[in-house]
Amino acid sequence: MNLITALKFYITRMTEESGPGMKVLLMDKQTTSIVSLLYSQSEIFLKEVYLFERIDANVRNEGLKHLKCIVFIRPTKENIECLCNELRYPKYGTYYIYFSNIIAKADIKLLAESDEQEVVREVHEYYADYLAISPHLFSLGINTCSQGLLWNPVHLHRTVSGLISVLLSIKKCPYIRYQNSSEMAKRLAEKIREVLSKESNSFEFKQDSPPILLIVDRRDDPVTPLLNQWTYQAMVHELLTINNNRVNLSHVKGISKELREVVLSAEHDEFYANNLYLNFGEIGQTIKELMDEFQKKAKKHQKVESIADMKNFVETYPLFKKLSGTVSKHVTVVGELSSLVEKHHLLQVSELEQELSCQSDHSMQLQKIKELINNQQIREIDVVRLVMLYALHYEKYANNDINGLLNLLKNRGVSDKYVKLVYNILEYSGINARQNNLFDREAVAKITKKLFKGLSGVDNIYTQHTPLLNETLEDLIKGKLSLQTFPYLGSTMMSKKPQDIIVFMIGGTTYEESLTVHNLNKQNPGIKIILGGTTIHNSASFLEEIQHATSGILTKYKNNNN
Amino acid sequence: MAGSEEVLEGFLCPICVTDFKAPVQLTKHFEDFHNDDPEILKSLKDLFGKAKKKILKQDEMSCSFANSVPSTTRLQRSPESNWEPQEIGVMRSHTKYFKEIRNMRLERYSTETNKLLIRLDKLLNNLPTDPVDRKVHERAIVPWIDDKDVKLCPICAKSFHVARRKHHCRLCGAVMCHNCTIFLSLQDAKKMTSPVSVQDDSAVSPTSERPISERIVRAGIGLTKLARSPSSGSLNSVLSLVNDSTGSEQHFRICTHCANLLDAREKQKAKHFDKPIVCQFYEKMRAYMKEASQHVKMYNKMWESLNEGESTYNLEDAQALRIKIAKLGENIDLISKRISVLGTRCVENPPQDQELRLHHMVRVSAMIFLKEELLSVQALPSEQRYAELQKERQRRIEARIAYERQLEEEQRERSKEQRRKETWNLEIRPTVKENQPNVVLDQSQGWGPSSVAPIMPSSMDPIIEQMSNLRAYIKQARADCRYDEVATLESNLKELQSVYFTMKQSNNSDG
Ligand SMILES: [Zn+2]
Ligand SMILES: [Zn+2]
Ligand SMILES: [Zn+2]
Repeated sequence: MNLITALKFYITRMTEESGPGMKVLLMDKQTTSIVSLLYSQSEIFLKEVYLFERIDANVRNEGLKHLKCIVFIRPTKENIECLCNELRYPKYGTYYIYFSNIIAKADIKLLAESDEQEVVREVHEYYADYLAISPHLFSLGINTCSQGLLWNPVHLHRTVSGLISVLLSIKKCPYIRYQNSSEMAKRLAEKIREVLSKESNSFEFKQDSPPILLIVDRRDDPVTPLLNQWTYQAMVHELLTINNNRVNLSHVKGISKELREVVLSAEHDEFYANNLYLNFGEIGQTIKELMDEFQKKAKKHQKVESIADMKNFVETYPLFKKLSGTVSKHVTVVGELSSLVEKHHLLQVSELEQELSCQSDHSMQLQKIKELINNQQIREIDVVRLVMLYALHYEKYANNDINGLLNLLKNRGVSDKYVKLVYNILEYSGINARQNNLFDREAVAKITKKLFKGLSGVDNIYTQHTPLLNETLEDLIKGKLSLQTFPYLGSTMMSKKPQDIIVFMIGGTTYEESLTVHNLNKQNPGIKIILGGTTIHNSASFLEEIQHATSGILTKYKNNNN
Repeated sequence: MAGSEEVLEGFLCPICVTDFKAPVQLTKHFEDFHNDDPEILKSLKDLFGKAKKKILKQDEMSCSFANSVPSTTRLQRSPESNWEPQEIGVMRSHTKYFKEIRNMRLERYSTETNKLLIRLDKLLNNLPTDPVDRKVHERAIVPWIDDKDVKLCPICAKSFHVARRKHHCRLCGAVMCHNCTIFLSLQDAKKMTSPVSVQDDSAVSPTSERPISERIVRAGIGLTKLARSPSSGSLNSVLSLVNDSTGSEQHFRICTHCANLLDAREKQKAKHFDKPIVCQFYEKMRAYMKEASQHVKMYNKMWESLNEGESTYNLEDAQALRIKIAKLGENIDLISKRISVLGTRCVENPPQDQELRLHHMVRVSAMIFLKEELLSVQALPSEQRYAELQKERQRRIEARIAYERQLEEEQRERSKEQRRKETWNLEIRPTVKENQPNVVLDQSQGWGPSSVAPIMPSSMDPIIEQMSNLRAYIKQARADCRYDEVATLESNLKELQSVYFTMKQSNNSDG
């Protein structure tokens, strides 16, 4: 069930099927991302692929007839059209065509009729139609999947294809459970079942224990993507944004040319692989140890006690930079993170965020939020996030002061767009959206407790919060997940406890949830969990998702509260 | 072709600076002239050493740290890596369906083309030289359309008159104007119909004498230049003029429709032979890489064994292999460099952007290969150091044996005590013997084949014969770099030698 392995199998097979010789890989935008997440340049060279071209590029050149062309594209209408053109006037000697998903027979016919020069050797479906970020984590690269709190049809189609491709690439035919409160989850579940029955020939596997496909909705847990993060990968994404394993550092003052864009890939960067789930402080320690070790060997003595010292160290010892491989890159990244934390007082912000999400002390928290709103050193976006958390937490609290906080925001001159986000998140994920409380008041309290559970005895005040997903999955593993909140699609049910779980989050998942799944996999040998999402959010992208999702609906919160 | 000359010149031997046309020839030259010259090998090694520094861009000091610093010990294996092995996911093939559809469509064209080729063949067969006889011959094979019914040229739709006369296509018999026909030379026609076709086999063989580029151009002719649509083809009118002046006996007049069909087929045929020089360079480079990788694997095994002080492999063999690897690395560097500058100095037909990128990438991949595969090859211990290593190993073994003996002794004492009480007849435990072969093997390491050989009397003793066979095998295996086989064969040889030696000794003491 390792997703990276599954995709690498496909790509390797593609490059091998065409035999030895120089190759060009012809891809579309999405398949380019899929492949670039898997391989470094030198790895792809080993497969004799030397050129990468885009099928939608409009350059018409003479072509190189002595090259073998491996076409790896999604079976979209535009791509088929481009490929038909390519085959009519082939630039390369032979073509090996691989579609990343199920393609219609009619499209194959179109292509066959375009191949008058008989350049095509193979046509296959290889289901590498998702972005494999970790062995247990995938994304579909859809930033905003809904509109008016309903599926955007284009994105629904892409999501169905993506999930079908995941299932085919790891050869699993699942039972489907979905979040009952979510229309979108139900709709996606039904669409997937449609494909499963239509393509039942492809889904005949020998399965010891059938897996569960659990479809959940981001709207059930809006808290996780709003929080500041302190584990390395999540933190980099929150503060610097990871896009296709790449981090843009060009805005950093005085950055050297080769570090303007850095690649963070656990597959090719041992330091990153070892540290991506560690918290910020531990990484600094690891780097310090490496530097000390180097000094001992080089008989040098320079104190390494702060991140500034580390940066100095890298500059003083170019040899360390050469020998430590990726470590100096991480010194830069860690340095940038630490300066952002300091500049924006993120420790202070994070402490209150954690309190708001895990404890209930209304008056004290309200007081602290007010203080931070009035503190001009705190970023606008951070105070807005605090107000959002407050609104989510105390929406139904009789003495809540959401309006007072909104007024404070306005007084501070926070832009309308941000102020509106507070309403948006209540619309997106207010208490009514999170669960169904028509008959049972007690359920409300329970769910609220789940989402904002108080944790005692946690030593790190910045990492008290655990995502809701953790509990959902723990329940599922124990066979205790409520059939009412997460019903099976259709009448068949699984009698055994599940061993293989594929959980998909509509509206995007987070690296914090990825870490949760990683830990569950570690704690439960024999259980395999894969996590996917329409995208991987940080707070900025999540706010965009909310804005998009709630566009075009009646904003009842605004009316109520004004 | 100015461009191809640029490509071919300057494949220089780095030793004697002789110019060679292709890497194959250069390598052959190397093997013939420079192979056993130790001076040359040394200089190659030096060259390679320079390349190493250049590629790694590292200073001397770094070597001592290279192994230790970046080793950030893996704290935890990710749980996903412990998941059971998986197989490749579902794959669905459409190749069969695709080809069915394609063939159905192409069959229409190919029957038509085949019909034309059969007619062309018949036309060429016994073609009369006399114009009148020839016309009869042509019309007998392809009936001509009655030109009275045709008022307009079916291709350009212009009306016929005195200045625009009617012409018949010799292949389909249709009528059209002069501008809408072209001439197919008899020579080209013959090539099209001959089963062996234009291309001789040498077109793909890199050993051929003729420049490859020339052959490719030859292979590409046919109708490619003739077949232009008449409206756009100034080339056509030029050709027609030329053709008219030379008379019709050298050509068949055919219509553009027929010409296009024939041309498509020629292009299809030519494609199989369209293999530019870069492919040959590239294939050679890949072959070197493959060979080098195999050697490196073998070498690393030998290196480890030698550094353990073992005598499975010879130090000299490892040295020879190391030089061989260096030589291959040098060749890979050289060829990839050639590829990266292919045609760049050509003014007339400079390589296009994509081609340049390709050549550059091939070069980059070679650099990565050299850096990651070959430059990691570690130096061997000196002979002195190796002797020390052997001694160390000997000491380790002896210490171990002594320790085991001691243990055994103690145990024996203990069991003696015990057994003395139980039973009287006690045999020595067999465990001592289990260790013995190991010791014997190591004591025999002073036995080199060369030092032993002269002692042997040249009789027809079967053991001696077998030994000389073994030596021949060893030589062969060594030449092929199959050092594992060398090791096995040598240990066989040693066994035989020790058998022979003990036999001789007992003979001597007997006699
Ligand atoms: Zn020479
Ligand atoms: Zn005409
Ligand atoms: Zn004709």
